[in-house]
Amino acid sequence: MRILLVEDDPDLARQLKLALSDAGYAIDHAPDGEEAQFLGETEPYDAVVLDLGLPKVDGVSVLERWRREKITTPVLILTARGGWSDKVAGFDAGADDYLAKPFHTEELLARLRALLRRSAGHAAPNLACGGLRLDPRAARASVNGEPLRLTSLEYRLLHYLIMHQGRVISRTELVEHLYDQDFDRDSNTIEVFVGRVRKKIGADRIETARGLGYRLVCPPGEEAGAPAES
Amino acid sequence: MSAATQRGASSLVRRLVLLAAGWSLAVLVVSSVVLVLLFQQAALRRLDQSLTELIDNLLAASTIDERGGVVGPALTDERAVRAYSGRYWQISESVADGATRAVVRSRSLWDSEMRIPREVLGALKEKPGTPVAYDAKGPLGEPVRTLASQATLPGRKAPVIFVAAEDRTPVDRDVRGFMAATATAFVLLGAGLVAAVVLQVRVGLRPLFDLKREIAEVRRGRAERLVQRYPSELTPLADELNALMAHNQEVVERQRTHVGNLAHALKTPLTVMLTEAAQRPGPLGEVVTRQAEVMRQQVDHHLRRARAAARTQGQGERTSVAEVLDELARTLERIHRDKGVTIDWDADEALIFRGERQDFMEMAGNPMENACKWCVSKVRVRADTAAEDRIRLTIEDDGAGLPPDRRQEVLQRGARLDETAPGSGLGLSIVDELARAYGGSLNLGDSSLGGLAVSLELPRADY
Repeated sequence: MRILLVEDDPDLARQLKLALSDAGYAIDHAPDGEEAQFLGETEPYDAVVLDLGLPKVDGVSVLERWRREKITTPVLILTARGGWSDKVAGFDAGADDYLAKPFHTEELLARLRALLRRSAGHAAPNLACGGLRLDPRAARASVNGEPLRLTSLEYRLLHYLIMHQGRVISRTELVEHLYDQDFDRDSNTIEVFVGRVRKKIGADRIETARGLGYRLVCPPGEEAGAPAES
Repeated sequence: MSAATQRGASSLVRRLVLLAAGWSLAVLVVSSVVLVLLFQQAALRRLDQSLTELIDNLLAASTIDERGGVVGPALTDERAVRAYSGRYWQISESVADGATRAVVRSRSLWDSEMRIPREVLGALKEKPGTPVAYDAKGPLGEPVRTLASQATLPGRKAPVIFVAAEDRTPVDRDVRGFMAATATAFVLLGAGLVAAVVLQVRVGLRPLFDLKREIAEVRRGRAERLVQRYPSELTPLADELNALMAHNQEVVERQRTHVGNLAHALKTPLTVMLTEAAQRPGPLGEVVTRQAEVMRQQVDHHLRRARAAARTQGQGERTSVAEVLDELARTLERIHRDKGVTIDWDADEALIFRGERQDFMEMAGNPMENACKWCVSKVRVRADTAAEDRIRLTIEDDGAGLPPDRRQEVLQRGARLDETAPGSGLGLSIVDELARAYGGSLNLGDSSLGGLAVSLELPRADY
């Protein structure tokens, strides 16, 4: 397993390099954002441990650029800022896990193991509709290459719609597939979720068939222009 | 609110109204008195005029007979002929020791005689030929305007006194009528003026009231800055207020950034120390590990203190509840996706928390993270309006829940229910502290899903 360690503090970098090597990983070290950017784009890593406070280019920008370039390597971010807004920013940038400083080395190793185990799960084919793309393995979605920020219920709704694109799906059907049997939700709340998803992917992508249900629209022009690679 | 402004000695409105109204009322009173006096004088002068004419006629028509007696004229003014008609005349002569005796009288006097007061006689003697006017009583007791004039007739040595009088009741009535009309008109005018002054002051000072209202809005968290356009006199004041608020915020923000930077700068060395200590088993390593943990807690504590200090300065902060819940839900689902947690959240898009975004994230995020940790698979988050200015945020999970006798424990500072779980415990004491700082509250209860229900009441901003 090959890991990229991005950490600017020399002492911490030395310690982590040692601990990760001891755990049996091959380690490359980048002391700043620029080098991390370059290494991440050129070398095939199995995972990245990324500090957010970096010289030259900060960690969030590095991560965002990787994700824009469709580099899906799992990323564990390290940061001194443990507030919720920082966590949200990290995950929105495309992080897969998050560890706030100070931490114990064992915890970092445990998280890394979990991350690698998860990414090893065999890949499922991407689902596409117009410029809309779903990656079921990472449970991520994007519109025209821009990552979408969805909660799991919203993701499930979109996933179901994209699996049955072009067909009108009734609210009852959606309720049945979105919630487990003991979720006490009535079909009215589907409207709320459809509203939220519309706001995120564009209002005209989900049509309302009055009295019948909803239908995901896939404009053929955009599909042709969308990148075929995933 | 304007009522409160008007009360009290130093009210601007009162001062302006009193000044303007006082002056115009004084002018009105003085001019009405002057007008009435002028009218009265004019009326009396006309009366005196006709009396002078009467005396002139008497003088011209009177003759003296051979014995020196006065022969009255045959004046045919019908009013002086009818008894007690209100118009009288009389020709008198002086007798001994300052008394007078009527020689000839108009028929209207009937058998009464007009007495000439002593001071009038004196005045006549002093200035013969100049008529003297005075007020007296008529034969019926009515007030009469009287004119007396002393003259010497040819053929008689001793002077005679001509007296003419006319009832002044009609004149007095006219004056009273005029006075009533003037008073009515001026009272109406005065009331109108005062009303106009009050209106003018209120309209003129309206920008001040607007300013006051806008400042209150800022304090209540409905606005961040004064945005209304004010008259040129108030613009500098509004600008200064905005600058002051911006400066306040900037100072607080800067302090917070400093403390934050220091706290975060300390965390990397702390990690280094922890890692280094873990690699060297023995008493030294243990002490360093323990002390590093204490330092971390101190850093977090002071970071929170700095944030709390900044909060008291915070003005007009607003945070969209739905936005934050959406962000937290998708982040937490990602953190706990190995477990497969579903966060079902619902909040009105228009629900606004009155306070800082980071604080709301902390208050919603910590209980939501706990719920994700302890749930089997489901977390339910609901936010709605509890009261006019209150948000109720409820976070529930389908885990094992927390027995009632242990609930107080988790709110204690630094308490940890699961000492083996990584992280800094439940973080609920921090949430409780924060909620209290916002004048809200935190309650723990049972969820219908089976687990713990954390319910928060927080301030809500309008619209």
